[in-house]
Amino acid sequence: MATTWIITADTAVSSLLDTARSLGAPVTLVALTPEASAVDGVSTVVALDAGDAPVEALAPAVAETVTAGDGDVVLLPNRPAERVIAGALAARLGAPVLTGVREVGTGSVTRARFGGIALETVATSGPVVIVADGGAEAPVGEPVRATPTTSVYPARVTASSAASTTVANLASAKRIVAVGRGVKSEADLAMIRALAAKLGAELACSRPLAEGLDWLPKDVYIGVSGQTVTPDLYLAIGISGQLQHMVGAQDARTIVVVNTDDKAPILAYADYAVVGDLYDVVPALTEAL
Amino acid sequence: MDFSLSEEQQLLLESLDELLERDCSLAYIAACDAEHRQPVEFKRAMHEAGFLTLGFPEEYGGTPTDTMTLCLIAERVARQGLNLGYSTEILQVLDILEFGSEEQKQAVLGVLAEGEVPFALAFTEPGAGSDSAAMAMTAVHRDGKVVLNGTKTLVTNAVDSKYLLTMARNPDATDPRRAISMYLVPMDTPGIELSPILKMCWHTADSSEIFYNDVVVDESCLVGVKGEGFVQLMKNFEVERIMTATQSLGLAEAAFEDAAAYAAQRVQFGQPIGNFQQIQQKLTDMAIKIENMRNFVYHSAWMVDNDCLDRTQAAMCKRYCSLAAFEVCDDAMQIFGGLGVTEGVRVERLWRDARGHRFGGGTDEIMVHIVGRQIVKQHSR
Amino acid sequence: MSTVVAYKWSANPQDAVVGSDGTVDWSRAKAGVGEYDTIPIELGRRLADATGDELVGVSVGPAAVASPMAKKAALSRGLDRAVVLADDAVAGWNLTRVAAALAALADRAEATIVLTGDASVDENAKMTSALVAGSLGWPCFQDVSEVARTDDGWRLTQVVSGGTREIEVSGGVVVAVTTDAVVPRVPGMKEILAAGKKPVDEVSVSEIELPEAALEIQGRARPVMATRKHHVFGGTDAVNQLVAAMRADGAI
Repeated sequence: MATTWIITADTAVSSLLDTARSLGAPVTLVALTPEASAVDGVSTVVALDAGDAPVEALAPAVAETVTAGDGDVVLLPNRPAERVIAGALAARLGAPVLTGVREVGTGSVTRARFGGIALETVATSGPVVIVADGGAEAPVGEPVRATPTTSVYPARVTASSAASTTVANLASAKRIVAVGRGVKSEADLAMIRALAAKLGAELACSRPLAEGLDWLPKDVYIGVSGQTVTPDLYLAIGISGQLQHMVGAQDARTIVVVNTDDKAPILAYADYAVVGDLYDVVPALTEAL
Repeated sequence: MDFSLSEEQQLLLESLDELLERDCSLAYIAACDAEHRQPVEFKRAMHEAGFLTLGFPEEYGGTPTDTMTLCLIAERVARQGLNLGYSTEILQVLDILEFGSEEQKQAVLGVLAEGEVPFALAFTEPGAGSDSAAMAMTAVHRDGKVVLNGTKTLVTNAVDSKYLLTMARNPDATDPRRAISMYLVPMDTPGIELSPILKMCWHTADSSEIFYNDVVVDESCLVGVKGEGFVQLMKNFEVERIMTATQSLGLAEAAFEDAAAYAAQRVQFGQPIGNFQQIQQKLTDMAIKIENMRNFVYHSAWMVDNDCLDRTQAAMCKRYCSLAAFEVCDDAMQIFGGLGVTEGVRVERLWRDARGHRFGGGTDEIMVHIVGRQIVKQHSR
Repeated sequence: MSTVVAYKWSANPQDAVVGSDGTVDWSRAKAGVGEYDTIPIELGRRLADATGDELVGVSVGPAAVASPMAKKAALSRGLDRAVVLADDAVAGWNLTRVAAALAALADRAEATIVLTGDASVDENAKMTSALVAGSLGWPCFQDVSEVARTDDGWRLTQVVSGGTREIEVSGGVVVAVTTDAVVPRVPGMKEILAAGKKPVDEVSVSEIELPEAALEIQGRARPVMATRKHHVFGGTDAVNQLVAAMRADGAI
């Protein structure tokens, strides 16, 4: 009897739960932190506690716990610690890893290759490890007591400067305003934020603004190696629309574009577009809403 | 005939592209031009990446590099839109390496190794431009010292130089062809006064008028042989002419790209102006000139590297490229219409900078003098 | 004792052409050392200079990986030498198998640490570091911006949401480096000329044991773009028209 496994360090796994449900096999959730063990609606929950070791150090314990066999599908959310666990497990099982996954069916998976320019459907027989967007927060119940384990890599966290700031969960955002290189200076983001606030939207960006320019945190950039989002409304301002960015947003219900260039690639993805200078259009739009 | 680049050349140009992207953006060049300042940051980045020590011998800290590769680098930098962004340093250093004393070599190379400008060439005078033999600056040798008096003008990049490579005549010379000598004069010698000259072109390279009032230097400042100054200087002028031609080529390529992109987008009378024959003719002839310039530059560089450069090649190359590049930039400006003369559209800068090469490094007409004479001489009995 | 950097020789998919049957034509795309692989090579160079270890590059890919151009391009970035597996069959391998091969090469190079970039330019999976670590039986950390050696292992600075944390690891570790950890130096002529003389060992598939981890490809297709309305608003009233259209649509 096949099992679907979900391995996660937090509760933002609703998309993975949907996938697991569609596969129909019993679901075992392996929680890498006490909080993650509270996810509701699965057959079995196994909680692992790393103590003061980083989550990544749990790889050996996960490899012991997840005895995935033929026909089993292992799902992990696409986040740094979970990717590490996915790699350790796949290597131990000698199982293929699939990323850029669009559809998971019993015995077959469709995934994007090469940044999304091509789709590939593959047949799976042995266990397969899938790393995919976790999705929004899942419904939670009571946490489960952790199984003590000593199968932990020799690593420990010796200092931490992470502020407990609330990070936007773009996965559950219904409206997103994304900004790109059309914006000339960091100060100009204030105008974009005002628009986002008026719309009740989350602020996101294309890769250059989060990397290199460092105007926005890395977890709000949308693209093939960043976030994938499926909001009802995606408003792209000053974004040219290269494939590497659009694969992260192309499934939005309505895409609205503001750009000076009527030949920009993003126009092909637009439901609605205003061709003009964002410095004129954005304040006018904020006013008109 | 194999026109392909070697793998080393390809990798070097990829590195250069990375550097240009990082340290020589179009906005940066425009700012340097508007502010009349040297692209110091870019030159420093080039120095750190080892580009400024290409072309001279290893024992002096250089990496021997053929002229072809130097031209490829110079072309790429000029094509980014930066005039005289690369190559001016090497030529001058070659003179010192060939004719200078050990101390002079070490001094100049030392400055270059720091990423600084070793010297500026002080050659042209108010009364001696094309007619360089009419130079009036005197160098009087007495008791182990040399006293220099006179005025040099349109000296490029003197402001940050450590030395002035000064050409001066011996007032007592009997043979006018052996009157001029070359001196490496430290910039901080008392009696030297710089006066800036503002130009409509080449804003990123400063120009100065320099007054020498009883400037006294040690006789060891003489470079090479007394009286051979002119011959020494002319030795590397051939390579300089090819490098100047390369600047013209790069600027023309930049102007062409801008004009072609504009013609494909600009809509008038309901269609892109690139659909109209007159525009297409301009673009075609511009492309032909660029292909010609490229072939001329690279063939000339090949001749230098294969020791078969004749007496007319470099002068012909310089004349053709200076003129052709200016025509390309002028046509590019015309394609832009009114927009072409506005600040913020770089074709106006490319046009201005291209204009300078029609006299910088030798006028179009002097090139005719050099080549024409030689042609007739070759065909005479 | 060496510091190993795994790099990929591949092309940017932007330049590839996809046919209607989903086959990908790479002929117009130019392969190079991955844009994000030059960063761990630079970081590795500085680390190796500090520890006195050799900096060894490892790469698994098609036959082109062992071409003179590919070798020079990688070695000129700061590697002392490289060990590669160059075989056109690699194009059909799953990530797990590729990573197992990289791990075998790293092992041959006597790695005490393996550095990788953030992601490859063509697949963007961000999985290679994790899989290599899995094959080596080592811990792995991604999004690392600094690495230093300690008496019995390594100290890493990892970038996490909202800040950083320091991690100390005993023994070997695989590290995926952030894209802005260091600014890679640009290879000059000296480095490019020297690269041609540095040793590159070629290892063939038959010399190492690899898991099959095979996938059967059932089909390929060009992705179908969702039908979009393509309404472009222009003129002075564009913004008002846009708002009206979005309202009518229920988008706002």
